[in-house]
This record gives sequence, C-alpha cells and structure tokens, in this order.
Amino acid sequence: MSIRLTWCLAALLMIPLPLSAAVQDETDVDIQVREIAKTLRCTVCQTENIWESGAPLAQQMRGVIRDRIALGHSTEEIRAYFLSRYGDYILMEPPKHGVNWLIWVAPFLLLVIGGFFLYKEVTHWVRDTPTPPSQPEPPLDDEARKRIERELKS
Amino acid sequence: MIIEIGHFSTIVALVLSVFGMASAVLALQTRNPDWARSGRMAITLIFVLLGVGMLSLVYAFIIRDFSVLYVANNSNSKLPFFYTVAAVWGGHEGSLLLWVFILSVFSTLAVWLHWRTQPAIMPYLIGVESAIIFGFLCLIIFLSSPFERLLPVPLDGKDLNPLLQDPAMVMHPPMLYMGYVGFSIPFSFAMAALFSGRLGEEWIKVTQRWSMFAWMCLTTGILLGGYWAYYELGWGGYWGWDPVENASFMPWLVGTAYLHSVLVQEKRKMFKVWNLFLIIVTFSLSLIGTFLVRSGVLTSVHSFATDPERGLYILIFVGTVIGIAFGALILRSNKLKSQVEMDSLISRESIFLFNNLFFLVAAATVFLGTLYPLILETLQDAKVTVGPPYYNAVFMPIALGLLFLMGIGPYIPWRKASVASLKKSFSTPLLAGAVIVALLFVTGIHNLYALAGGYVVTFAGMAIVLDFGKISQLYAQRNGSNIFQGSLAAFTANQRRYASMLTHIGVLVLVVGIIASTVYQTEKVVSMRVGDEFEIGDYRMKLAKIHEVAGGNWNAQEGVFQVFKGEDLITELRPQKRIYSATQTPTTESAIYATNMGHVFLTMPEVSEDGVAVARGVLNPLVLWVWGGGVIMGLGVILNILRPRKKEE
Amino acid sequence: MNKGWQLTLILCLIGLFALFYQGLWGDPRHIPTVLIETDAPNFEGPDVETGQTISLDQFKGKVVLLNFWASWCYECKVEHKSILQLHQLFKDNPDFVMLGVNYQDELPDAQKYLKEYGSTFSHVRDLKGQLAIDYGVYGVPETFVIDQQGKIRHKWVGPITGEVYTNITQKVIAPLLNAQPTTTTTS
Repeated sequence: MSIRLTWCLAALLMIPLPLSAAVQDETDVDIQVREIAKTLRCTVCQTENIWESGAPLAQQMRGVIRDRIALGHSTEEIRAYFLSRYGDYILMEPPKHGVNWLIWVAPFLLLVIGGFFLYKEVTHWVRDTPTPPSQPEPPLDDEARKRIERELKS
Repeated sequence: MIIEIGHFSTIVALVLSVFGMASAVLALQTRNPDWARSGRMAITLIFVLLGVGMLSLVYAFIIRDFSVLYVANNSNSKLPFFYTVAAVWGGHEGSLLLWVFILSVFSTLAVWLHWRTQPAIMPYLIGVESAIIFGFLCLIIFLSSPFERLLPVPLDGKDLNPLLQDPAMVMHPPMLYMGYVGFSIPFSFAMAALFSGRLGEEWIKVTQRWSMFAWMCLTTGILLGGYWAYYELGWGGYWGWDPVENASFMPWLVGTAYLHSVLVQEKRKMFKVWNLFLIIVTFSLSLIGTFLVRSGVLTSVHSFATDPERGLYILIFVGTVIGIAFGALILRSNKLKSQVEMDSLISRESIFLFNNLFFLVAAATVFLGTLYPLILETLQDAKVTVGPPYYNAVFMPIALGLLFLMGIGPYIPWRKASVASLKKSFSTPLLAGAVIVALLFVTGIHNLYALAGGYVVTFAGMAIVLDFGKISQLYAQRNGSNIFQGSLAAFTANQRRYASMLTHIGVLVLVVGIIASTVYQTEKVVSMRVGDEFEIGDYRMKLAKIHEVAGGNWNAQEGVFQVFKGEDLITELRPQKRIYSATQTPTTESAIYATNMGHVFLTMPEVSEDGVAVARGVLNPLVLWVWGGGVIMGLGVILNILRPRKKEE
Repeated sequence: MNKGWQLTLILCLIGLFALFYQGLWGDPRHIPTVLIETDAPNFEGPDVETGQTISLDQFKGKVVLLNFWASWCYECKVEHKSILQLHQLFKDNPDFVMLGVNYQDELPDAQKYLKEYGSTFSHVRDLKGQLAIDYGVYGVPETFVIDQQGKIRHKWVGPITGEVYTNITQKVIAPLLNAQPTTTTTS
C-alpha cells in the first residue's frame, strides 16, 4: 500500500462523519441478569420478582447479580447465593424438595384420583341403567335435519 | 352534614336488614303473605338507603370534603374530577360499601322480578339476602366506616393511590363486585331449595340468567383488572398469579363449572346435590376472597391495609354463612337420592362431569397455591413463594384438557354416542389440528405449549365452525336463502346453543392471545441517551428527546421515542416516569403502539441525572386477542341472556 | 352424599377455618431467617462520620452487634434511644463491639440523622446494598448478634425496644459475653 493511500485513509477517518445514532443493545450479561432476576422474588414488595419491581432493594439485588456475573459466577451459583441469604422465600416457586413436592404433584394427583373415581362411578351408573333398545344409527345429516325440524317447531 | 345523612341512612339500612330477616322467618311461620310483602319493602328500602349512603360519599368526594377521614385518605385537591368518583371505591371502606350497595340492588331486582312467579321462594330469598347485607353492614358501620369525620380538618387529602388513577380502575371494582354479588342470587335460590325441600329443577331455571350475568361481570372484571395491570404496572404482563387475582379467579372457575353442570340437571334431572354444592362453593369462594383480600392473611400488591380484629370479624361472618350453607346441604343430601341414569361413558352428561372435574381441580390448584405459604408457615416455620413459574407449569396441562373437552362436549349427543357418529363429528377437526401443528412447526414455532395450544384450539374451533356451517347450510337450503341468512336463521332458531358457542369461540381467541403473548414475548432493556436508538423485533426506537411534562397532580419526565420500521417513521411513543405530587410516589406510564398483530409496549423506568434513560421495550404478539376474546365471550353471554323465552323454560 | 363424603366436607371446612384463624395472628411479612449458626459474612466500608474504612475482620474474637438502619426509616427512630442505651450497657466490656450499618441512604442525610439523634459507636455505610443482601436484610431496622467465633447467633427484624430489648441484652448478649454459648432462636 502506498504511503499516499494510507494518508488518504487517515484523512478520511478524520473527517467528522454526520452524527449518526449510536445503536444500543443488550449485552449477554444484561440478558443473563434478566433471566436470573425473573426467578427471584423481591422480598419487600410481595409477589413481584426483582426484575419487575421498582423497589430500591430489587435494584440493588439486580446490581449484585450483575457483579457476580462479572466475577464469572454461573446462574445456578447466583441463585444458590440468594437462597443461602434469604431462604426458600426468595425463589419464585416452591423448591422441589421435601414437603414441597406435595404442591407440585397435587394438581395431577387430584386429576388422576378424581378421574379414577369419576370413571368408576360413571361405569357403575351405566351398568345400573337399563339399556335402551338399540336403534340403528341414523346418518348424521338426517339427525341434523331432525334437529332443525325440532328447532323450527319450537 | 350530608355525610351524616349517609351515615344515618346506612345505620337505618342495618336495622332494616334485621327486620328483613325477621319478616322472612315470620312469613314462613305464619304463612301470612303480608310478612313477605313487608320483607320486600325492607329490601327495597335498604337499596334506597344504601343508595343515599353511596351518594353522600360520592358527594363528599366531589366537593373534596377532607373533614371526612375516608375522603382525606383517598383524595386530594388536585385529583382529577374523573378519578374523584372512582376514589369512592379506591379504599377498603368505600369498596365495601359499594359491595353491599350492589348486593342491595340485585336483591331488590330479584325480589321484584320473581315476586309473582316464585311466591314460595320469596321469604327465603329475602331472609338470605338480608342476612348477607346485615353481615356486611355490621362490618361497615362498626369496623370500617367510610363516614367517619376527621378532626382537625387537614388542609389537603393524602391522595388516591396513583396506581389506581387509571380509567380501568373506574370500572374494574364495580364489575368484579357485580360478579361476586351476582352469584348471591342463585345462591339464595339454592338455599331456598335446601331449606324448603323443593329440590327440583325450578331454582336452576329461574336463576340461569342471573348466573350467566354474574359470570359475565366477573369475567369482565377480571379482564379489566388484567388490562389495568398491563399498562399501569409497566412490566408488560397482565396476569401475575397474585393472591388477589387468584381470589377473583377461583369463584370464576367454580362458577364456570356450575354453569355447565346445571345443563345436565335441566336436561336429565341428575346431579342435584352436585349443583347445589357447586353454587355454594362459588359464592363461598367470593366471600373467602373478600376475607383473604381484606384480612391481611396474605400479602399482595393489591391488598388493603388491615387489622386482625377486622379480619376476625370477617372470618366469623364468612364462616357462619358457609357453615350454614354446607350444613343445610349435608342435612338435606340424604333426601336427595336423585336417580342417576347413564347410558354410556361417552355421552354429553359424562363429558360435563369431566369438565367439572377439570374446573374443580383448576380451582383447587389455585386455592392450594394461594394458601400454601400460609399452610407451611402454620405447620412449620418456613416460608415459600408460590409464583407464576409454579402456576404456569401446573396450570397449562389442565387448561389444555379443558379446551379439548370444550371441543368435544357440545358435539357429543346426550345419553349415548356411537363410534360412527364420533368419527363423523371429529375426524375433520382432529385432522385440522394436525395440519395446523405441522404448519406452525414449519413456520418456526417449536415451543411445546404453543404447538399443543395450537392443536386444541384448532380442534375445538373447527368443531364449532363445522357444526354451525353445516346447520346454516341446511337452513339456507330449506329456506332457499343464502348462507348468511341461513346462519342467521340457524342462530336465532337455537340461540341458546349458538350463543354459548360464541362464548366458546371467545375463549379460544383469548387462549390464542395468552399463549402468543406469553410464549413469544420479546423484551429488551437498554440504557440510552438522547439520540441513541435500539432495535426490537422489526422496530427501531430512537430516543428523540426527554422533556418535562406536568399533569394536574403529577410531574413527569417524558421520553419521546420515534418508532421506525425499516426506514419509515411509523409513530411516536411517549412513555413517562411520573411523580405524583401529593404522595411523591413514582409511577411508570407505559406507551403502547398497537400493530395489527399485537403491541409494541414501551416504558421508561429510570432517567438518571446525567441524562441516561433506561428504556424497556416489549413486543407482545397477539396480546389484543386476550381482551378481544373477552369481548366475544361477553357478547355470547349477552345474546344468551337476551334470547327469546321458550315455552318450556 | 354418603357419610364418608359428608365427613370429608366437614373436616375440610374445619381445617380451612382453623388455618384462616391461625393466619390472622401471623405476620405475613415475617420471613424466617436461614442465617443463624452460619458464618457472618465479612464486609468493608467507610465510616459514616469519619470516612475511615471499617471491616468486620477487625473485631474477630469479639461479640459484635450489627444494627441496620436508615435516616428515612421511622422505626429506627423509635429504637434509637434503646440502641444507645444498649451500647451504654456493654461498652465497657472489651469483648463487645457495636456497629451500625447505614442502609440505602444518602450520606448527608445519614450524618444529619446521627448528629440529631446522637451516636456513640461507629456506623458503616453500605454503599451498594451488597452488605445488606449478604445478611439477607429486607427492611430496616434489623439487628444481628455475632459471637466470638464469627457465627451469627441472633437476628431480630424490627425495633429493639421493650421486651425485645430485655431479651437481646439478658438472653443473647450477656451469656455470649460470659462465654457460655446458648442456643438462641429467632422469632
């Protein structure tokens, strides 16, 4: 490259460019802060996580998360740190251990047990009901026509 | 002076509620219709007197009479007029008065509307409604009076909580309370059925429109609350599984189960005890919700400041009502051996039962989740949070199950369905669901919830559309008209069925909105100076300037953001960071740009002194469908209520 | 409904209302601490009044009372007198140290507060809230007692007045200073 060209390039660089907008974007750290903050509860504001909360404590907690990410801590380590300071309460959902398992499985347990009882009851009822004389299924369109007749009559 | 008139008339209303109860008992004992008539008069007068009480409070707010403690706590000389009226129900005392006022309106309406047709029920209705009014009026007059004076008179009021200074808050509490209180009418009829032993289908048919109306109000109330949270709390979401939100959601779930279950009793005369149980649970949950919100047992962003004494009173009152109701149910239930006839497991009545199971499990899940922290704290000194991650995880499967049942229920015949008819009705919807899932997958949607949701929504929607299309066509053929006239004819011929289907479609639209805006929400938070820009989705936001603006009772820093799509400037968004003068409370006012598919939601939560603003952009795809679906649901219910009465009803 | 269902229903209702009744007397804002018997996190920060750096390590082997406060906090003013009294009570014991931690505050406000209400011991500034989070603090005032081995032995949320004062002086600090380890519980 000739010296002249280098100079030209340098001169070009020194010409003030028209003021263009600086594009701001989230860094990976920002995204990680958000992901962690969304799983931790703001202890002063009740039922809000520290990402959504505007409370000073939540703000400081976000700061702590950021500092710890900068120190190279992983998501799990940071969550564990908050857990060790505030207890289970800081997590947005009951941790899955001990008696808490109950609340995690309760909905499905209820569904299964309820479904089982219901199934048993219904089949029981069906057995006790005298079966109506079986009729050949009428084709669907006839059925629909009958419905219309009925509806038009009423 | 005016406020004392209001106070006095509320006290008289309390006395009259005692009279109402007494006249109900006397009417039943003496069988003298004059007692019922005077009971009706008492209920009507209670309505008038509580109306005076409400108006006196409204008046105190309008003239900004800060010598009234409640006004001083919830208003301010600079509070815009629009909100001074809404401030009447901005606090615990006033909202309680609104509650009981709405109750008196509904009681009066019910007594006069059903006087002729249901003379035997009237004493019970008067008695039950008077008792509930009595309980709430005692609470208002002795423990939370909005009529108290404040001396010395402060120069200015403390102002209404800035978060409540929002148009949605004007309508949200009344709608919600109309929902809660509306269920008291079917509840009263159910109690009448239990006490009198007249346990037929009568009470269900009579209260059907009441139940639907209450359900519609509750739905609207909940959705308005969501809308308020969406643009007032500034985090871009509309539902946080907060205890107070849950308190309104639980009666909704059981109330919905009830609305479906009564259809079985109407048609097949089964499940009498079950329906009584459901309506008692629905209304009980409304009352328990009131207790949870106002007793300080649970904390929530919305709960009122409270003291244990008040909580204890509400607990005793609520416990008495619920205890009597369930006691009557248990005592009567032996008599209620309704013979169940079931022809097949695959029949509409059986689908309704499973629908009920799912709704009740959903309600139990919310109930358990809301109370779990309390249970754990009582049993062992531990505390946990049950937040959105829990509910989202456990609720989704239940909701999908319900949607699936919604697709098949209406198209399975009563009594017994044959495999052939099932194939005919559901093969196309099942296939359509699969096609949609494939299409979604190809277009890059791989989220399991979105795909599962897409499948059941398509399935249920297709079932409705196919059935209605077929019937409309037949009508069109028969009448020799076009398909639109045909569908209109089909709709009016069986308005009850198709209005319900319209409500179902509303639910589907709502679900699409929820799934899309939850799973595919994009969020970005950046720090920027004037002149900087950031990109979110297809949009580019440039912070043009930050300036000061002032409203009547607040000052704000407003960020002016130019929104570009490609190179085109499409709009300007102006989110604010407000400080309300009286309380020095900051709020974040969001700015929303509605695209055809969703929302571009922007807030500016912070502006530092050296001019660095924090901007938070959220893209909420299809979020408008949430409320659009709500409107369709409401429309369906209205058409259902307004349907012409048929002979057999 | 058969007898079994009736009984279940009645038991559920009774259980529910017993729970609600119990809940009325609890404080929903109370969070049980998990820090008792764990090592007190070390910290370092400037003194509110002098600006000198103070760290917890300096006081190894002593009983340390840590009191989190702020100038904007109402309950801190309520307890301030008894906090000074507490210091008066133990200040002659060479094994006892008391430290205030100024939390979420502006320096001038904090200094003004101390001038107005009096200060007889040192106060550390918690610059970024890191210190408070290390101690699991969620509001002020909160008070911790750390033993000679550097373990947290006691935590109290709320003002140190009345019975709480008696309890913390006689049942927590005095036994520790007499080197008779007791098991303390939080409430």
